[in-house]
Amino acid sequence: MSEPMIDVRAVSKRYKRGGETLTVLDQLDLQIEPGGFYALMGPSGSGKSTLLNLIGGLDHADGGQVIVDGEDVGRLTGSDLSQWRADTIGFVFQGFNLIPVLTAQENIELPLSLAPISRARRRKNAAYALELVGMSDRATHRPQQLSGGQEQRVAIARAIATDPKVILADEPTGDLDRDSADAVLTLMRRLNEEFQKTILMVTHDPLAAARADKIIQLDKGRLQGIQENSA
Amino acid sequence: MMRLAWRNLRKHPVRALLTIGSMAVAVFLLCTLISLITTLEAGVKQAGTRRLWIQSAVSLFVDLPTSYESKIQAVDGVARVAKWQWFGGYYQERSNFFAQFAVDPAKLFELWPELEIANGTKESFVGRRDTCVIGQGLADEYGWKVGDVIPIIGGLFAKPDESSWDFEVAAVYRSTKATVDDRTLFFHWENFYETMKSITGTPPNVGVFIVERTPEAEPTSIMATIDGMFENGPQRVQTTTEAEFNLQFVSMIGNLPRFIAFIGAGVLIAIVLATVNTMLMAAREQTHEIGILKALGFADRSVFWYFLGQAVLLCAIGGGIGLAIVQVTSPGLAASMASAFPGYKVLASTYATAGLVALAVGLVAGVIPAWQSSHLNSVNALRAEN
Amino acid sequence: MKVPLHYNLRSLFVRRSSTLLTIFGIGATVAVLAGVLALQQGFATLFTESGREGLVMFLRPGATNEGDSLWQRDRAERLVKTLPEIATDEDGRPLASIECYLAIRRARVAGGETNVPIRGVEPMSKTLHADVVSVDGQWFKPGADEVVVGEKLVGRIQNCRVGDVIQLNITPMRVVGILKSEGPFASEIWGDLDRILEALNRPTPNRVIARLDAGVSWRELDTRQRKDKEVPAKVLSEREYLTGQTAALSIILLSLGGFLALVMGTAAVFTATNTMLSAIAARTYEIGILLATGFRPIPIFFSFLFESLVLGLLGGAVGCLMALPLNGVETGTTNFQTFTEIAFAFRVTPTVLITSVLFSLVLGLLGGAIPAWRAARLTAIEALRRR
Ligand SMILES: Nc1ncnc2c1ncn2[C@@H]1O[C@H](COP(=O)(O)OP(=O)(O)OP(=O)(O)O)[C@@H](O)[C@H]1O
Ligand SMILES: [Mg+2]
Repeated sequence: MSEPMIDVRAVSKRYKRGGETLTVLDQLDLQIEPGGFYALMGPSGSGKSTLLNLIGGLDHADGGQVIVDGEDVGRLTGSDLSQWRADTIGFVFQGFNLIPVLTAQENIELPLSLAPISRARRRKNAAYALELVGMSDRATHRPQQLSGGQEQRVAIARAIATDPKVILADEPTGDLDRDSADAVLTLMRRLNEEFQKTILMVTHDPLAAARADKIIQLDKGRLQGIQENSA
Repeated sequence: MMRLAWRNLRKHPVRALLTIGSMAVAVFLLCTLISLITTLEAGVKQAGTRRLWIQSAVSLFVDLPTSYESKIQAVDGVARVAKWQWFGGYYQERSNFFAQFAVDPAKLFELWPELEIANGTKESFVGRRDTCVIGQGLADEYGWKVGDVIPIIGGLFAKPDESSWDFEVAAVYRSTKATVDDRTLFFHWENFYETMKSITGTPPNVGVFIVERTPEAEPTSIMATIDGMFENGPQRVQTTTEAEFNLQFVSMIGNLPRFIAFIGAGVLIAIVLATVNTMLMAAREQTHEIGILKALGFADRSVFWYFLGQAVLLCAIGGGIGLAIVQVTSPGLAASMASAFPGYKVLASTYATAGLVALAVGLVAGVIPAWQSSHLNSVNALRAEN
Repeated sequence: MKVPLHYNLRSLFVRRSSTLLTIFGIGATVAVLAGVLALQQGFATLFTESGREGLVMFLRPGATNEGDSLWQRDRAERLVKTLPEIATDEDGRPLASIECYLAIRRARVAGGETNVPIRGVEPMSKTLHADVVSVDGQWFKPGADEVVVGEKLVGRIQNCRVGDVIQLNITPMRVVGILKSEGPFASEIWGDLDRILEALNRPTPNRVIARLDAGVSWRELDTRQRKDKEVPAKVLSEREYLTGQTAALSIILLSLGGFLALVMGTAAVFTATNTMLSAIAARTYEIGILLATGFRPIPIFFSFLFESLVLGLLGGAVGCLMALPLNGVETGTTNFQTFTEIAFAFRVTPTVLITSVLFSLVLGLLGGAIPAWRAARLTAIEALRRR
């Protein structure tokens, strides 16, 4: 078996609330293979988002190690961490999280501005990403002029614009109707198959989870199991 | 990133405009206050170094005997000596205030090479006793031109029937330095002397003697010699450099500079608080966006500069507008303050100072919100409401 | 239905960093205005409170101050002897005195030069000014080269302690006492009229002061005396004179204060507007709920205006507190009528405080008007949508 893309080793995360400590993740071990498409499921409050944030380096673990693409994320700090995130991770959120004052094109160019590439190159990459998600005709639209499904497609374009190895998606279809959700999931599949992106997608929707290769079950901060999707 | 800053500022046009407006107002006020001081000090800073001023050691209001002139002329190192008398009259109304001096007409232009004739001729002024020469500023203000007769009511030197002294304009001068302002009227000492003698029966004294030293002469030794010469009366004198002479009038305004500094500080505090306020509001509203930026891989440092950039951008725009207002209004202000602050002028260094202050305010006001936002926890920031 | 005001007060508290910044911004503006006003009040009260209606002075017609006014000695004496309106003491001597006045150069203790008034007086002056002038140490002896110096000069001007010698041109004058007064006399040097004139080599006194018989109006005397063939004179009461002396500086200070209030006030209004706009933007949803529960736009308008007024008032209070320590601080300024330096103290009077607080309320009102108007024009649906 090849080296895992994401290697979560005995990771714990605790929150102190008043006097008592709440253990959100408890000695969690999890390996994600390169080029895999994983769905992460579990009841509300089970720690899914927390895990995603730890993998993406948005938060720090209280114990254990998170290794992504050979890099120990917990060891990175400050601008090294930011740069690593810009290079390696693409985030997709439930609430899309586009910047309202920027157009679709500009939203996608934003993370590209962190890469050492020319302006013209930035334009081209962003345009290509837009084309990939089928939103070229909306390049100059602001987020509020787009539908939820369209917004999410732009957000995905933004996540892949820098060509990261890993895409972390937190309930990307949570706010979408069936048709829009399908379009987004098809897009994710394509990114996984055509571009070999490793995808970890949190979802509550069994139909969405069914589109992934494997389904990870999480409960109360513990891994319940990983099952292969037969279909 | 700068584009994002710009867009966010434009998202709240009213707030951005109000902040820019307050900054513009503050810069305008600051420039005006600084210019009041620099204008007052200009006479000291640009003072001639060849001229020495001899006045009574007792009081600003005590005159010196005419007989001193020949004694001073005899001192080693004295190239020329001229008489100078403050006249203190007014044109029509007391509020029409400008300076008039009785002077030795030929020596006026020798002692003040910075005076240039704009209209008329030196010769016509020197040649006729009932004429005067006036500054371009006066000519512009009252519409006087060569050949006009200006009636001046004597304030200190009133004629018995309160009638006016009439001076015909022989020439108009322009001054190339701040040593002489362009709102002064000079007329013949002889005219003054004869008229006063006939009114009071006794010849008038001289307000001030002005000496031009020879280039190689040592000013301190000339000053000491002249002061020593009249040590035993009848009137002790005090010989000073032109800078010191002018300084006594500047120091009369006493605490004004400190007072202006106090006001300036108040203005700055108010404006810094206003900008901090705006930036805090902006930062609070952009909390969620900060979370996005960080998730996208923007470093804390970039977020810090992003906010600082917004503050500096606001202040730079406001400051620029303020400076433009100063530029546009300064001729009008100069005209309206001509009697209290003759020669009011906004120096290039004042523009620079005010501009720097605007940027500094931006930096100071931006630092706290910028630091706060750059240290936001990205997970919490993302949780913040949109 | 009225919007409960504690709702607004609580909002000011919730957004306290913004509220505090605005309050201090307004405070700084108000403090500057109060400072300028306190300066003007200090200067004005120094002059007007010490001026007395019962004492009149005679100046040369056309003179605006003592320095300008020159009298021939014999004419001044004729005036004192012959004017029937001048009151007399129990010995039948006229209650009048000839005085001379000149701004002389003096070195400051702190360095530099300034102009200090020196006044030569006749013995009767002490009686005439007795209610405002007292002495620490001795009074100068008539005919002697002695002077008393005003208490305000003591620490500021060189050679102004008892026993020191003040050089007047070529005559040394010994300081024998300290002159105390609440008014501008405390910044003057006093000596014997004849000795001072002699030392200054000047033949001319500057004014005559006198007490008039009971019931005589100085205004009527003035009208008559101006036209007098023998000794034409301008007559005015001491209070009138001293009030006039403050006019120029008062106008300068008041116009400076007005200019500053206008310019800084604009900036402060902008800040207040900003604060209120953000307060309202953050509460759009709440406003929607208020509207939906049946509150009318007008009460909402007034409730936000009230919030802004509270902001202004608090700013005014802070500004007054900042200006309060100025009260009593001694400063010097030049009386531009006589070119002499006068020491006086800032006075934060009730007038100053009331003006400042009113000013702060105006700032609050102007700053709150637009935001409150915006809030009141929201519709319930619109406001509720903005979540
Ligand atoms: N900053 C925080 N402080 C305290 N507790 C927190 C914090 N963030 C998360 N938690 C708690 O950690 C637990 C896990 O949260 P998390 O967001 O990971 O859940 P989730 O599995 O994503 O749930 P959902 O499906 O509802 O999104 C929850 O009980 C939550 O209340
Ligand atoms: Mg979650």
